[in-house]
Amino acid sequence: MTTMATRIQMPYTLTPGEATGVFLAELGRRRLIGSRHGDRILVPAQDFDGSTGEPAEGFVELAPAGRLEAFTVTAQGVLGLVLVDGADVPFLHRIVGFAEADLTIGARVAAVWADEPTGSVLDLAGFGPAGDGPGFKPRIAPDGLAQPFEQVEYTMTLDYQHSYGHYYGTLFDAVRTDRRLRGVKCSQCRRTLLPPRARCDVCFAPTAEWVDVEAVGVVQACSVVHIEFIGQRLKPPYVYAELVLDGTSTRLIHMVGGIDPAEARTAVAPGSRVRAVWSDRRTGSLADIDYFELIPGEPS
Amino acid sequence: MSYAPRPVAVVNSAQTLFKPSWADRQHVDLISEAVTGVLKGTGLRIDDVDFVIDSGSDFLDGRSISNCGFLGAMGAHHKEESRVEEDGLWALSYAMNKIASGSASVGLVVAYAKPSELDARSFWCTLLEPFTQRPVGLDHLSAAGLYAHRYLTAAGLKPKDLEVVARHAWEAAVRNPNVDLDEVPSAEPFWHERVASPLHGSDFARPVDGAVAVLLAAADVADQITTRPVRLTGHGSAIDQHFLAAREADALPACAAAARMALGTARATAFDIAEVSATSTVGELMVLEALGLAPRHKALDLYDGGGATAVNPSGGALPADPIMATGLARFHEAAARLAGRSGFAAGEARTALVHGTGGFAMQNHCVVTMEVAA
Ligand SMILES: [Zn+2]
Repeated sequence: MTTMATRIQMPYTLTPGEATGVFLAELGRRRLIGSRHGDRILVPAQDFDGSTGEPAEGFVELAPAGRLEAFTVTAQGVLGLVLVDGADVPFLHRIVGFAEADLTIGARVAAVWADEPTGSVLDLAGFGPAGDGPGFKPRIAPDGLAQPFEQVEYTMTLDYQHSYGHYYGTLFDAVRTDRRLRGVKCSQCRRTLLPPRARCDVCFAPTAEWVDVEAVGVVQACSVVHIEFIGQRLKPPYVYAELVLDGTSTRLIHMVGGIDPAEARTAVAPGSRVRAVWSDRRTGSLADIDYFELIPGEPS
Repeated sequence: MSYAPRPVAVVNSAQTLFKPSWADRQHVDLISEAVTGVLKGTGLRIDDVDFVIDSGSDFLDGRSISNCGFLGAMGAHHKEESRVEEDGLWALSYAMNKIASGSASVGLVVAYAKPSELDARSFWCTLLEPFTQRPVGLDHLSAAGLYAHRYLTAAGLKPKDLEVVARHAWEAAVRNPNVDLDEVPSAEPFWHERVASPLHGSDFARPVDGAVAVLLAAADVADQITTRPVRLTGHGSAIDQHFLAAREADALPACAAAARMALGTARATAFDIAEVSATSTVGELMVLEALGLAPRHKALDLYDGGGATAVNPSGGALPADPIMATGLARFHEAAARLAGRSGFAAGEARTALVHGTGGFAMQNHCVVTMEVAA
């Protein structure tokens, strides 16, 4: 086995704060809201001016038009810096509706609004070509401001291809094909380490020889898990345990199963002897062990 | 009561080969190779190391507090260990301060990255403010394109003028045994396919996997170990504001601030070697200008080879960007040259200026200076 594909997917409820919250809420009403910091106006509205640290003294509505200061064309489209009329700092957004030959520094642009607001900065679809139509100077927004968004739902998804390397690769090959656990012995302290690795964590000495480890051991510590959380493999309640397999010096985190959940708290304890229950899956990971079970007739 | 910081020196530095993908090795394998390499030949053993400061990214590594799983490979078992979620050059400054303050004598600095395990674009976008910048599709490529559009316009340059920057970098990297590269890429798309106008493929840093380790010590300790000790003489760092649109259009004031702090009254042009980091060709030009190696919009002139300062003799970050370890790799390249270690053409170089960068679109900058002890 050489690599493992994993995905980290994290749900967030992000808090935009007042200025960004107002800015996003007002985009749904097709209005561009900036913040006033002394004699500077920032759009999108900010709680603090990143250049001066000045807090926002209030919000203003800006005419949704400006001039293009810079742009970049990529395979995903055009992004540009638009200096909105009356603002002191450009606004980075999508540039839409231009033929590439017409993209020039200084081009007049105006807001292109999304057909249906969804509550993100993309309620403003971008800035497109515009004439020199009449606008207005930054002004107090008529009819008051929308309530700021308090929370924004967001999901971050990251896909990884992790390398196993020689040591984990050798272990997981043996797990998958032979249902065999393989560790390594440190050349200095002679302890057996599982999972195997190039160097002993304690001595920083190279490891020397491979040893087979039986999937039998003793519970060092355990805890009954009752709550549900993302990434769980078993349905709670179950016993989460730190195991020391016979002959090894490392601890293996796994689960103890095959017991009545009601008795879990008393049935498993430090010192309990356990053995692996292999699953029918052959994925080449320690999840090929469904769980560890108590060994009948041995200390529990 | 007066306080005089203790002089700090480089004992040794080492790295793994940088290559686009170390698919057959884990982070720990790369880290332990670099750490083993940095101890080799010094007479020091891991037990002689007082503390470890490491640098990496949880996002890039795909696990939280990722250093916890890498401690053994760093030789940090039951040692004082601290981790910086920044380029390794920041880790080096912290180690330098710790030794200078007198609280420890020997420090190990480790930086590593395996960007091949996650695509670089996803990584850079995780750094972005998520409300107004991330949803519009801003990424590290388009951010560099926006800088480049404004820089080239202000400097009166054409996109093709940037080829000399890329050529210098890739040709030097071919000669550099630390970088897995046999020849300068010749493929037409690399040089001419638009990625984020006005920039092409050749204008962007190539992410690579690898690890770097540096061993620092109080100068009196280092002097007993090395025949040509290299002293650290200054360091500084600064962070620009996050919103790309609000930053300066075609200059890096945070880089200039970091340089001012590191250089004091010294001038950048007085250094024999400058090893600098950048994520694009235009980024490299802006760094050289911010450091004071060239006047504004004139850094391109440095590539005709006539300057007193050798810029990126290693090839710099464009052909080999191990994202969190890039600045520390620059340090290793410069220190190895000053110390005259085998495999590194040193010439008469006695002084070096090293630069690292981090954050989205080069938001953060760190500068370290060093010289061969008299
Ligand atoms: Zn050992």
